[in-house]
Amino acid sequence: MKLQHYLGGLEGLGPVSTETKVFVEAWETRIFGIHTAMMALSTQLPLPQTPSAFNTIWTWADLRKGAESLNPFDYFKYRYYEKWLGGIAGYFIQHGYITEEELDALTEEYCQDLSKPLPTAGDAAIDDRVVQYLVEGDSAKRDVPVVAEFSVGDLVRIENVPSVEHTRLPGFLRNKTGIVESVYPGAYAYLCDTGSDGIGPAMTVYCVRFDPSDLWPGNAEPNFSLYADLYARYVASADVSVSAKAA
Amino acid sequence: MSERFKYRGDREAHSAARVRALEALLIKKGIITDRTVDTVLEFFETKMGPFNGAKIVARAWIDPAFKERLVADTSKAIAELDLPDGMAGAEGEHMRAVANTPGVHNLIICTLCSCYPWPVLGLPPYWYKDPTFRSRAAREPRAVLAEFGLPISEDVEVKVWDSSAQIRWFVVPERPAGTEGLSETDLEALVTPEAMMGVAVAKAA
Repeated sequence: MKLQHYLGGLEGLGPVSTETKVFVEAWETRIFGIHTAMMALSTQLPLPQTPSAFNTIWTWADLRKGAESLNPFDYFKYRYYEKWLGGIAGYFIQHGYITEEELDALTEEYCQDLSKPLPTAGDAAIDDRVVQYLVEGDSAKRDVPVVAEFSVGDLVRIENVPSVEHTRLPGFLRNKTGIVESVYPGAYAYLCDTGSDGIGPAMTVYCVRFDPSDLWPGNAEPNFSLYADLYARYVASADVSVSAKAA
Repeated sequence: MSERFKYRGDREAHSAARVRALEALLIKKGIITDRTVDTVLEFFETKMGPFNGAKIVARAWIDPAFKERLVADTSKAIAELDLPDGMAGAEGEHMRAVANTPGVHNLIICTLCSCYPWPVLGLPPYWYKDPTFRSRAAREPRAVLAEFGLPISEDVEVKVWDSSAQIRWFVVPERPAGTEGLSETDLEALVTPEAMMGVAVAKAA
Protein backbone atom coordinates (compact mmCIF):
# COMPACT_ATOMS: atom_id res chain seq x y z
CA MET A 1 0.00 0.00 0.00
CA LYS A 2 1.62 3.26 -1.10
CA LEU A 3 0.83 6.54 0.61
CA GLN A 4 1.33 8.21 -2.77
CA HIS A 5 -1.90 6.53 -3.98
CA TYR A 6 -3.86 7.65 -0.90
CA LEU A 7 -3.09 11.37 -0.59
CA GLY A 8 -6.66 12.63 -0.97
CA GLY A 9 -7.94 13.83 2.41
CA LEU A 10 -4.69 13.45 4.38
CA GLU A 11 -4.71 15.83 7.35
CA GLY A 12 -2.19 17.67 9.50
CA LEU A 13 -0.09 18.91 6.57
CA GLY A 14 -0.17 22.62 7.36
CA PRO A 15 -0.78 25.47 4.92
CA VAL A 16 -0.74 25.01 1.16
CA SER A 17 1.95 26.60 -0.99
CA THR A 18 0.59 29.46 -3.09
CA GLU A 19 3.72 29.64 -5.29
CA THR A 20 2.60 30.46 -8.85
CA LYS A 21 5.94 29.83 -10.56
CA VAL A 22 6.22 26.65 -12.63
CA PHE A 23 9.95 26.32 -11.89
CA VAL A 24 11.44 27.66 -8.68
CA GLU A 25 15.06 26.99 -9.75
CA ALA A 26 16.53 27.39 -13.23
CA TRP A 27 17.90 23.82 -13.23
CA GLU A 28 14.35 22.42 -13.02
CA THR A 29 13.64 23.51 -16.60
CA ARG A 30 16.30 21.10 -17.84
CA ILE A 31 14.85 17.93 -16.27
CA PHE A 32 11.44 18.96 -17.60
CA GLY A 33 12.89 19.21 -21.11
CA ILE A 34 14.63 15.85 -20.76
CA HIS A 35 11.42 14.10 -19.60
CA THR A 36 9.43 15.58 -22.48
CA ALA A 37 12.09 14.50 -24.99
CA MET A 38 12.06 10.96 -23.56
CA MET A 39 8.29 10.75 -23.97
CA ALA A 40 8.61 12.02 -27.56
CA LEU A 41 11.35 9.53 -28.43
CA SER A 42 9.69 6.60 -26.67
CA THR A 43 9.60 3.58 -28.97
CA GLN A 44 5.89 2.75 -28.74
CA LEU A 45 4.86 5.97 -30.52
CA PRO A 46 4.02 5.87 -34.25
CA LEU A 47 6.39 8.78 -34.98
CA PRO A 48 9.23 8.85 -37.54
CA GLN A 49 12.39 6.97 -36.61
CA THR A 50 15.29 9.26 -35.75
CA PRO A 51 19.05 8.75 -35.18
CA SER A 52 18.43 9.00 -31.42
CA ALA A 53 20.04 6.28 -29.34
CA PHE A 54 16.92 6.19 -27.14
CA ASN A 55 15.46 2.75 -27.77
CA THR A 56 13.21 2.05 -24.81
CA ILE A 57 9.78 3.11 -23.55
CA TRP A 58 9.23 6.14 -21.33
CA THR A 59 5.79 7.54 -20.59
CA TRP A 60 4.04 9.40 -17.77
CA ALA A 61 3.46 5.96 -16.23
CA ASP A 62 7.22 5.43 -15.84
CA LEU A 63 7.70 8.86 -14.25
CA ARG A 64 4.77 8.24 -11.90
CA LYS A 65 6.04 4.76 -10.94
CA GLY A 66 9.39 6.28 -10.02
CA ALA A 67 7.77 8.81 -7.70
CA GLU A 68 5.39 6.23 -6.27
CA SER A 69 8.28 3.88 -5.44
CA LEU A 70 9.92 6.44 -3.15
CA ASN A 71 9.89 6.20 0.64
CA PRO A 72 6.74 8.23 1.43
CA PHE A 73 8.74 10.58 3.65
CA ASP A 74 11.11 11.26 0.74
CA TYR A 75 8.06 11.89 -1.44
CA PHE A 76 7.21 14.80 0.85
CA LYS A 77 10.82 15.80 1.50
CA TYR A 78 11.86 16.29 -2.12
CA ARG A 79 10.35 18.92 -4.36
CA TYR A 80 8.53 17.91 -7.51
CA TYR A 81 11.44 18.24 -9.96
CA GLU A 82 13.93 16.78 -7.46
CA LYS A 83 11.84 13.61 -7.63
CA TRP A 84 11.93 13.77 -11.44
CA LEU A 85 15.72 14.14 -11.49
CA GLY A 86 16.17 11.15 -9.21
CA GLY A 87 13.75 8.96 -11.14
CA ILE A 88 15.00 9.88 -14.60
CA ALA A 89 18.71 9.58 -13.73
CA GLY A 90 17.90 6.20 -12.20
CA TYR A 91 16.06 5.11 -15.38
CA PHE A 92 19.02 5.97 -17.65
CA ILE A 93 21.39 4.08 -15.32
CA GLN A 94 19.05 1.10 -14.95
CA HIS A 95 18.66 0.78 -18.74
CA GLY A 96 22.37 1.01 -19.34
CA TYR A 97 22.47 4.32 -21.24
CA ILE A 98 24.84 5.82 -18.65
CA THR A 99 26.62 4.56 -15.57
CA GLU A 100 26.23 5.98 -12.09
CA GLU A 101 30.02 6.43 -11.96
CA GLU A 102 30.16 8.62 -15.03
CA LEU A 103 27.15 10.64 -13.88
CA ASP A 104 28.73 11.18 -10.45
CA ALA A 105 32.08 12.11 -12.00
CA LEU A 106 30.59 14.61 -14.45
CA THR A 107 28.34 16.03 -11.71
CA GLU A 108 31.48 16.74 -9.68
CA GLU A 109 33.03 18.53 -12.69
CA TYR A 110 29.97 20.75 -13.10
CA CYS A 111 29.88 21.34 -9.33
CA GLN A 112 33.36 22.80 -9.70
CA ASP A 113 32.37 24.85 -12.76
CA LEU A 114 28.69 25.03 -13.72
CA SER A 115 29.54 27.21 -16.72
CA LYS A 116 31.53 24.40 -18.40
CA PRO A 117 29.81 24.02 -21.78
CA LEU A 118 27.52 21.19 -22.79
CA PRO A 119 28.64 19.05 -25.77
CA THR A 120 27.59 20.27 -29.22
CA ALA A 121 25.99 17.47 -31.16
CA GLY A 122 22.83 16.03 -32.61
CA ASP A 123 20.62 15.48 -35.58
CA ALA A 124 17.77 17.94 -36.11
CA ALA A 125 15.44 15.02 -36.84
CA ILE A 126 15.45 14.27 -33.10
CA ASP A 127 14.19 17.75 -32.26
CA ASP A 128 11.66 17.63 -35.10
CA ARG A 129 10.18 14.48 -33.56
CA VAL A 130 9.98 16.14 -30.15
CA VAL A 131 8.00 19.04 -31.63
CA GLN A 132 5.78 16.64 -33.57
CA TYR A 133 5.02 14.76 -30.34
CA LEU A 134 4.01 17.99 -28.60
CA VAL A 135 1.78 19.06 -31.50
CA GLU A 136 0.15 15.68 -32.16
CA GLY A 137 0.04 14.27 -28.63
CA ASP A 138 -0.53 10.65 -27.71
CA SER A 139 -4.23 9.97 -27.46
CA ALA A 140 -5.43 7.29 -25.08
CA LYS A 141 -8.50 6.62 -27.24
CA ARG A 142 -8.51 3.32 -29.12
CA ASP A 143 -10.65 2.40 -32.10
CA VAL A 144 -12.21 -0.65 -30.43
CA PRO A 145 -15.90 -1.20 -29.83
CA VAL A 146 -17.05 -1.16 -26.22
CA VAL A 147 -20.41 -1.28 -24.55
CA ALA A 148 -20.43 0.75 -21.38
CA GLU A 149 -21.84 -1.26 -18.50
CA PHE A 150 -23.14 1.82 -16.67
CA SER A 151 -25.09 4.93 -17.64
CA VAL A 152 -25.34 8.47 -16.32
CA GLY A 153 -27.12 8.45 -12.96
CA ASP A 154 -26.26 4.85 -12.08
CA LEU A 155 -25.18 4.10 -8.53
CA VAL A 156 -21.78 2.38 -8.60
CA ARG A 157 -19.32 0.97 -6.08
CA ILE A 158 -15.59 1.34 -6.44
CA GLU A 159 -13.68 -1.93 -6.47
CA ASN A 160 -10.87 -2.66 -4.04
CA VAL A 161 -8.59 -3.84 -6.87
CA PRO A 162 -5.26 -5.49 -5.96
CA SER A 163 -2.84 -2.73 -6.89
CA VAL A 164 0.84 -3.43 -6.48
CA GLU A 165 3.27 -1.11 -8.25
CA HIS A 166 1.01 1.47 -9.87
CA THR A 167 -2.63 2.48 -10.13
CA ARG A 168 -4.91 5.25 -11.34
CA LEU A 169 -7.42 4.58 -8.59
CA PRO A 170 -7.22 7.24 -5.87
CA GLY A 171 -7.08 5.13 -2.71
CA PHE A 172 -9.65 7.13 -0.76
CA LEU A 173 -12.34 5.99 -3.23
CA ARG A 174 -11.91 2.25 -2.66
CA ASN A 175 -15.16 0.53 -1.62
CA LYS A 176 -17.04 3.83 -1.81
CA THR A 177 -20.33 4.41 -3.59
CA GLY A 178 -20.80 7.08 -6.21
CA ILE A 179 -23.07 8.17 -9.04
CA VAL A 180 -22.03 8.18 -12.69
CA GLU A 181 -21.83 11.79 -13.90
CA SER A 182 -20.60 10.99 -17.45
CA VAL A 183 -19.65 8.08 -19.62
CA TYR A 184 -16.81 9.13 -21.91
CA PRO A 185 -17.59 7.98 -25.46
CA GLY A 186 -15.38 5.16 -26.69
CA ALA A 187 -12.55 3.22 -25.06
CA TYR A 188 -9.34 4.44 -23.48
CA ALA A 189 -6.09 2.62 -22.91
CA TYR A 190 -3.61 3.40 -20.15
CA LEU A 191 0.09 3.98 -20.79
CA CYS A 192 1.17 0.71 -19.20
CA ASP A 193 -0.37 -2.53 -18.04
CA THR A 194 -0.86 -2.30 -14.27
CA GLY A 195 -1.10 -6.06 -13.75
CA SER A 196 -3.58 -7.13 -11.10
CA ASP A 197 -4.73 -3.50 -10.72
CA GLY A 198 -6.34 -4.12 -14.09
CA ILE A 199 -5.88 -1.12 -16.38
CA GLY A 200 -3.90 -0.86 -19.59
CA PRO A 201 -6.19 -2.31 -22.29
CA ALA A 202 -8.80 -0.01 -23.84
CA MET A 203 -11.94 0.29 -21.74
CA THR A 204 -14.71 2.71 -20.84
CA VAL A 205 -13.88 5.57 -18.49
CA TYR A 206 -16.52 7.04 -16.20
CA CYS A 207 -16.68 10.32 -14.35
CA VAL A 208 -18.16 9.43 -10.96
CA ARG A 209 -19.50 11.81 -8.31
CA PHE A 210 -18.89 11.14 -4.64
CA ASP A 211 -20.34 12.65 -1.47
CA PRO A 212 -17.44 13.77 0.74
CA SER A 213 -19.52 13.17 3.87
CA ASP A 214 -19.43 9.51 2.82
CA LEU A 215 -15.68 9.61 2.07
CA TRP A 216 -14.79 11.38 5.32
CA PRO A 217 -17.78 10.98 7.64
CA GLY A 218 -18.21 13.87 10.05
CA ASN A 219 -15.07 15.48 8.64
CA ALA A 220 -15.92 17.07 5.28
CA GLU A 221 -17.20 20.48 4.23
CA PRO A 222 -20.90 20.83 3.35
CA ASN A 223 -22.42 21.54 -0.07
CA PHE A 224 -19.53 19.98 -2.00
CA SER A 225 -19.12 17.08 -4.41
CA LEU A 226 -15.94 15.31 -5.47
CA TYR A 227 -15.66 13.83 -8.96
CA ALA A 228 -13.07 11.37 -10.25
CA ASP A 229 -12.43 9.93 -13.70
CA LEU A 230 -12.24 6.16 -13.27
CA TYR A 231 -11.37 3.34 -15.65
CA ALA A 232 -14.16 0.77 -15.96
CA ARG A 233 -12.08 -1.88 -14.17
CA TYR A 234 -12.40 0.17 -10.99
CA VAL A 235 -16.18 0.61 -11.23
CA ALA A 236 -18.72 -2.04 -10.24
CA SER A 237 -22.43 -2.17 -9.71
CA ALA A 238 -23.61 -0.99 -6.31
CA ASP A 239 -26.35 -3.61 -6.54
CA VAL A 240 -25.06 -6.49 -4.42
CA SER A 241 -27.29 -9.06 -6.11
CA VAL A 242 -25.95 -8.08 -9.56
CA SER A 243 -22.32 -8.38 -8.38
CA ALA A 244 -23.01 -11.81 -6.88
CA LYS A 245 -24.47 -13.05 -10.17
CA ALA A 246 -21.47 -11.76 -12.14
CA ALA A 247 -18.95 -13.42 -9.81
CA MET B 1 9.00 21.18 4.39
CA SER B 2 12.52 22.67 4.57
CA GLU B 3 12.37 22.97 8.33
CA ARG B 4 11.18 19.40 8.81
CA PHE B 5 13.79 17.47 6.79
CA LYS B 6 17.57 17.64 6.53
CA TYR B 7 19.00 18.51 3.13
CA ARG B 8 22.57 18.58 1.88
CA GLY B 9 24.11 22.03 2.28
CA ASP B 10 24.54 22.53 -1.49
CA ARG B 11 21.09 21.20 -2.34
CA GLU B 12 20.34 23.40 -5.36
CA ALA B 13 23.93 23.66 -6.64
CA HIS B 14 24.20 19.88 -6.58
CA SER B 15 20.94 19.40 -8.49
CA ALA B 16 21.98 22.03 -11.03
CA ALA B 17 25.30 20.24 -11.58
CA ARG B 18 23.66 16.81 -11.73
CA VAL B 19 21.02 17.76 -14.28
CA ARG B 20 23.69 19.47 -16.39
CA ALA B 21 25.83 16.33 -16.19
CA LEU B 22 22.82 14.21 -17.19
CA GLU B 23 22.02 16.49 -20.13
CA ALA B 24 25.67 16.45 -21.22
CA LEU B 25 25.81 12.64 -21.13
CA LEU B 26 22.53 12.32 -23.04
CA ILE B 27 23.85 14.65 -25.76
CA LYS B 28 27.22 12.88 -25.89
CA LYS B 29 25.53 9.48 -26.25
CA GLY B 30 23.21 10.64 -29.03
CA ILE B 31 19.97 10.37 -27.06
CA ILE B 32 19.09 14.05 -27.42
CA THR B 33 20.76 16.98 -29.18
CA ASP B 34 22.30 20.12 -27.75
CA ARG B 35 19.10 21.93 -28.82
CA THR B 36 16.47 19.48 -27.53
CA VAL B 37 15.80 20.88 -24.08
CA ASP B 38 15.68 24.47 -25.36
CA THR B 39 13.34 23.37 -28.18
CA VAL B 40 10.93 22.01 -25.59
CA LEU B 41 11.12 25.14 -23.44
CA GLU B 42 10.60 27.43 -26.45
CA PHE B 43 7.47 25.46 -27.38
CA PHE B 44 5.99 26.34 -24.00
CA GLU B 45 6.84 30.00 -24.46
CA THR B 46 5.05 30.30 -27.78
CA LYS B 47 2.61 27.46 -28.49
CA MET B 48 1.28 25.99 -25.26
CA GLY B 49 0.58 28.35 -22.39
CA PRO B 50 -1.94 30.40 -20.41
CA PHE B 51 -2.13 32.85 -23.33
CA ASN B 52 -4.30 30.22 -25.08
CA GLY B 53 -6.53 29.73 -22.06
CA ALA B 54 -7.05 33.47 -21.71
CA LYS B 55 -8.29 33.69 -25.31
CA ILE B 56 -10.65 30.75 -24.78
CA VAL B 57 -12.17 32.29 -21.64
CA ALA B 58 -12.45 35.78 -23.14
CA ARG B 59 -14.33 34.32 -26.10
CA ALA B 60 -16.59 32.39 -23.72
CA TRP B 61 -17.40 35.61 -21.88
CA ILE B 62 -18.27 37.48 -25.07
CA ASP B 63 -20.15 34.65 -26.76
CA PRO B 64 -22.48 32.65 -24.48
CA ALA B 65 -23.23 30.12 -27.23
CA PHE B 66 -19.49 29.42 -27.56
CA LYS B 67 -19.31 28.95 -23.80
CA GLU B 68 -22.08 26.34 -24.00
CA ARG B 69 -20.23 24.52 -26.79
CA LEU B 70 -16.99 24.74 -24.79
CA VAL B 71 -18.56 22.94 -21.84
CA ALA B 72 -20.40 20.41 -24.02
CA ASP B 73 -17.44 19.39 -26.23
CA THR B 74 -14.34 21.22 -25.11
CA SER B 75 -11.82 20.17 -27.77
CA LYS B 76 -14.28 20.74 -30.61
CA ALA B 77 -15.08 24.27 -29.39
CA ILE B 78 -11.39 25.13 -28.93
CA ALA B 79 -10.74 24.05 -32.52
CA GLU B 80 -13.05 26.88 -33.67
CA LEU B 81 -10.55 29.48 -32.45
CA ASP B 82 -7.38 30.71 -34.13
CA LEU B 83 -4.84 29.20 -31.72
CA PRO B 84 -1.40 27.61 -32.28
CA ASP B 85 -1.01 24.08 -33.63
CA GLY B 86 -1.16 21.52 -30.86
CA MET B 87 -4.33 22.41 -28.96
CA ALA B 88 -5.21 18.70 -29.12
CA GLY B 89 -1.58 17.71 -28.65
CA ALA B 90 0.38 16.58 -25.61
CA GLU B 91 -1.82 16.61 -22.50
CA GLY B 92 -4.65 18.16 -24.51
CA GLU B 93 -5.89 15.08 -26.33
CA HIS B 94 -9.00 14.90 -24.13
CA MET B 95 -10.08 18.01 -22.25
CA ARG B 96 -13.14 19.11 -20.30
CA ALA B 97 -14.06 22.64 -19.29
CA VAL B 98 -16.41 23.33 -16.38
CA ALA B 99 -17.99 26.76 -15.91
CA ASN B 100 -18.31 28.66 -12.66
CA THR B 101 -21.67 30.29 -11.95
CA PRO B 102 -22.88 32.42 -9.05
CA GLY B 103 -24.09 29.20 -7.43
CA VAL B 104 -21.28 26.79 -8.35
CA HIS B 105 -17.51 27.03 -7.89
CA ASN B 106 -15.28 24.46 -9.59
CA LEU B 107 -11.79 23.37 -8.49
CA ILE B 108 -9.43 21.08 -10.43
CA ILE B 109 -7.00 18.77 -8.60
CA CYS B 110 -4.86 15.72 -9.31
CA THR B 111 -4.50 13.70 -6.12
CA LEU B 112 -2.33 11.08 -7.87
CA CYS B 113 0.19 13.36 -9.60
CA SER B 114 -0.15 16.70 -11.46
CA CYS B 115 -2.22 16.18 -14.62
CA TYR B 116 -2.72 19.60 -16.25
CA PRO B 117 -4.14 20.85 -19.59
CA TRP B 118 -0.85 21.79 -21.28
CA PRO B 119 -2.15 23.33 -24.52
CA VAL B 120 -4.59 25.60 -22.66
CA LEU B 121 -2.53 26.57 -19.62
CA GLY B 122 1.07 25.46 -20.25
CA LEU B 123 2.87 23.90 -17.31
CA PRO B 124 1.45 23.60 -13.80
CA PRO B 125 2.40 26.08 -11.09
CA TYR B 126 4.09 24.80 -7.94
CA TRP B 127 0.97 25.11 -5.80
CA TYR B 128 -0.88 22.63 -8.02
CA LYS B 129 1.91 20.05 -7.85
CA ASP B 130 2.38 20.26 -4.08
CA PRO B 131 1.25 17.18 -2.12
CA THR B 132 -0.28 19.38 0.60
CA PHE B 133 -2.68 20.97 -1.89
CA ARG B 134 -3.43 17.65 -3.55
CA SER B 135 -4.27 16.05 -0.21
CA ARG B 136 -6.24 18.87 1.43
CA ALA B 137 -8.23 20.13 -1.57
CA ALA B 138 -9.95 16.73 -1.87
CA ARG B 139 -11.53 17.03 1.60
CA GLU B 140 -11.59 20.74 2.55
CA PRO B 141 -11.68 22.84 -0.64
CA ARG B 142 -13.04 25.99 0.99
CA ALA B 143 -10.35 25.96 3.69
CA VAL B 144 -7.72 25.62 0.95
CA LEU B 145 -9.31 28.36 -1.18
CA ALA B 146 -9.33 30.66 1.85
CA GLU B 147 -5.55 30.22 2.04
CA PHE B 148 -5.43 31.39 -1.58
CA GLY B 149 -7.39 34.47 -0.50
CA LEU B 150 -10.64 33.24 -2.04
CA PRO B 151 -13.48 32.82 0.46
CA ILE B 152 -16.33 30.64 -0.84
CA SER B 153 -19.50 30.58 1.24
CA GLU B 154 -21.26 27.37 2.21
CA ASP B 155 -24.22 28.58 0.09
CA VAL B 156 -22.11 28.19 -3.04
CA GLU B 157 -21.80 24.60 -4.21
CA VAL B 158 -18.20 23.47 -4.65
CA LYS B 159 -17.30 20.82 -7.23
CA VAL B 160 -13.83 19.31 -7.07
CA TRP B 161 -12.68 17.35 -10.13
CA ASP B 162 -9.85 14.80 -9.61
CA SER B 163 -7.91 14.24 -12.86
CA SER B 164 -7.38 10.51 -12.40
CA ALA B 165 -7.65 9.30 -16.01
CA GLN B 166 -7.28 10.71 -19.52
CA ILE B 167 -9.22 13.96 -19.13
CA ARG B 168 -7.36 17.24 -18.57
CA TRP B 169 -9.66 19.69 -16.84
CA PHE B 170 -9.93 23.46 -16.59
CA VAL B 171 -12.39 26.02 -15.27
CA VAL B 172 -14.14 28.84 -17.10
CA PRO B 173 -14.19 31.51 -14.37
CA GLU B 174 -17.05 33.99 -14.15
CA ARG B 175 -16.71 37.25 -16.02
CA PRO B 176 -15.87 40.00 -13.50
CA ALA B 177 -18.42 42.72 -12.87
CA GLY B 178 -17.96 46.07 -14.62
CA THR B 179 -16.25 44.64 -17.72
CA GLU B 180 -19.07 45.22 -20.17
CA GLY B 181 -17.19 47.75 -22.29
CA LEU B 182 -13.89 45.88 -22.53
CA SER B 183 -12.50 44.47 -25.76
CA GLU B 184 -11.75 40.76 -26.07
CA THR B 185 -8.02 41.53 -25.75
CA ASP B 186 -8.63 43.53 -22.58
CA LEU B 187 -10.70 40.66 -21.18
CA GLU B 188 -7.86 38.19 -21.87
CA ALA B 189 -5.63 40.20 -19.54
CA LEU B 190 -8.00 39.47 -16.63
CA VAL B 191 -7.70 35.68 -16.91
CA THR B 192 -5.05 33.88 -14.82
CA PRO B 193 -4.02 30.21 -14.63
CA GLU B 194 -5.17 30.24 -11.00
CA ALA B 195 -8.65 31.39 -12.08
CA MET B 196 -8.70 28.65 -14.72
CA MET B 197 -7.98 25.93 -12.17
CA GLY B 198 -10.32 27.30 -9.51
CA VAL B 199 -8.08 28.73 -6.78
CA ALA B 200 -8.84 32.30 -7.82
CA VAL B 201 -11.44 34.34 -9.66
CA ALA B 202 -10.58 36.41 -12.71
CA LYS B 203 -8.94 39.77 -12.01
CA ALA B 204 -11.09 42.84 -11.53
CA ALA B 205 -11.34 45.26 -14.43
